[in-house]
Amino acid sequence: MINILIIEDDQNIAKMIKATLSIVNYNGTCCYDGKSGAQEALRGTYDLILLDVMLPEMNGFEVMDTIKNCGTPVIFLTAMQDVADKVKGLRLGAEDYIVKPFEALELLARIDVVLRRSNKTQNIITYGSLTVDISSHIITDNGEPVQLTPKEFEVIVYFLQHQDIAISRERLLSNIWGYEFEGESRTVDIHVQQVRRKLGLKDKLITIPKLGYRLESQDRI
Amino acid sequence: MKLWQKIFLSSLCLIIVAINVISIVLLNNTHRLIIEREQSHAIREYEYFAASFANSAVYERLRSDRLFLSDDEIREIAEDIMAGRPKTQPAAIYDSDKQPIAESPIPELFSLDELERYVSTIGLASDSYNIRVFNCSDTRYMVVCSTLKIEDKSYLLLTASDVSEIFTLRSKQTAFVRQVGIISAAVISLILLITVILLLRPLSRLNTYTKAIAGGNYKIRIRKRGSREFRELAENMNIMADSIQSNAARLEKIAEDRQTFIANLAHEMKTPLTSILGFADLLRIKKNVSDSERAEYAGTIVEETKRLRSLSGKLMELIALGGTETEKKPVSIPGMIKDTETSLTPLLQKNSVSLSCDCEDITISADEELFKSLLYNIIENAVKASAIGQKIDIKAGMSDGNAVIAITDHGIGMSKEDAKKVFEPFYMVDKSRSRKAGGAGLGLALCVKIAQQHNAVLTLDSELGKGTTVYIIISGEECL
Repeated sequence: MINILIIEDDQNIAKMIKATLSIVNYNGTCCYDGKSGAQEALRGTYDLILLDVMLPEMNGFEVMDTIKNCGTPVIFLTAMQDVADKVKGLRLGAEDYIVKPFEALELLARIDVVLRRSNKTQNIITYGSLTVDISSHIITDNGEPVQLTPKEFEVIVYFLQHQDIAISRERLLSNIWGYEFEGESRTVDIHVQQVRRKLGLKDKLITIPKLGYRLESQDRI
Repeated sequence: MKLWQKIFLSSLCLIIVAINVISIVLLNNTHRLIIEREQSHAIREYEYFAASFANSAVYERLRSDRLFLSDDEIREIAEDIMAGRPKTQPAAIYDSDKQPIAESPIPELFSLDELERYVSTIGLASDSYNIRVFNCSDTRYMVVCSTLKIEDKSYLLLTASDVSEIFTLRSKQTAFVRQVGIISAAVISLILLITVILLLRPLSRLNTYTKAIAGGNYKIRIRKRGSREFRELAENMNIMADSIQSNAARLEKIAEDRQTFIANLAHEMKTPLTSILGFADLLRIKKNVSDSERAEYAGTIVEETKRLRSLSGKLMELIALGGTETEKKPVSIPGMIKDTETSLTPLLQKNSVSLSCDCEDITISADEELFKSLLYNIIENAVKASAIGQKIDIKAGMSDGNAVIAITDHGIGMSKEDAKKVFEPFYMVDKSRSRKAGGAGLGLALCVKIAQQHNAVLTLDSELGKGTTVYIIISGEECL
């Protein structure tokens, strides 16, 4: 279980982040001001801290200064689009920053990147008869290795990491092909079809009209 | 050309010209006086010569007891006289045909064509003295020439005297004056140069200073030194720098305020947007959303949207206030307070807060709706700060010629730091509390704007835990 500390003064935003985290089974803890947030960060064991910049009592940068020795990665949440602010946050040792307002999946994607960097994500995912070893790029179906292209592998890993979440073609494009990729969403469709065919996920990896795809989780069947 | 160069050169030219003119006039005058003296001397000399010639002729005639003397005898007499004359004083005697009878010891002088021509022009009838200066081999002679009658015969007599000395003296004096002139011009120019530079030095200081101001350094002030004009100029420049500095500071403050306002506005807009986008996205992408979750998410979205709506409404009011002219009419303060109380009744009942009014009947010129919204905002804040069952006192009266409305609550109050910032846009004393109440932090900023349009000032006294008093001070000009 991944534990994430949310330090955010707006209770609705904190609640929203917590709910977003819960859909990928991350556990969120909320603090509503800088002081208690810093204390909580030093006291508890967290895998990641989401830190707002504008906070009562102590601002985000001050909190960052206090907790930088505990080694927990930090992602800044900021309403400022000022480059100087971002640079300041990153220079203080933050792993990343997210500019408000943000979409749920963008938050999750950035959290994933940071967690992967600090080796806190699972390296082996099992889904029914499938076993995926992310680090060695091997996928087996009942022990039999399945041949997938690198992009197809990334697609199935992304779906496995975001089970039960509706994922748009744009999201897949930007996460797997990169923001710069200007290909059509047809590319996504072809890869998803290939993954479905090769891994026999016809009933699980379903198409949601006008939105994208969703991988149904195994235990809900 | 620079000013000091102009002043220096023109003064120098004037002085040199003046010195030269004065010395030339003086020299010429002296020279003329000397010449005049020399002329009278030469005339006396001539008269002596003429008298001795005439006397000799008369004496000879009387001695020989004759009526007339022959030309030869006259010539003899003339030659005798000539022989007796010193060499330095040449003379000549001509007969009526301008032919020389006897001549001076310096013949070259009289062989001059110039002299001959001169002699020939002199009429025998005239008995005035003809005086002229001749130049003969580096020596100047003053020649006096006149006619003399001896026994019906006219003779032309001529004497000359050496006046070279006068002219040498003159040229010596001229040379001396020139030398003195050059030396004094050098000395004067040096003194003048130093004086001009010293006098104009404040100008270059003022110049450096002006450049510094133009370069953006508004803090420096110049010391008042030098002559009166410069001191005045320096003072005026300091006044100018003062006003530039204060204007620059004011503009900086405005720009800063605007920057803060925009930053705060962005933050205030993004906070509800983050919740709205987040929860809406969750509703969209999550597969199984329970009824309670959906109600919670949608509820939050509605709440945050209302917050945005209130923010945009307040913003519109703020913008509209800045642009439009208010329509002022005579309105009574107690009447407006009464109306405001009526519209606040639901809130007052909900919080069980009562109002007590002690108002003098003052009529002011105001836009009724705007002024009521000012009162509404302030009384609403007072109600929010009060605990259940407390009382809010409203007093209105005249003080120092201004109308003053004081709204006092006995609620939570606030710290001095908060009291200072409470009129700033987006400032909220208790963020989470006022957000829950749908506040955007713009209420008092709006009140300040309305007050400005009514020539009024808002001030505030507050003590943590004891309550707050807001004063609306309306300038006496608006009172009717």
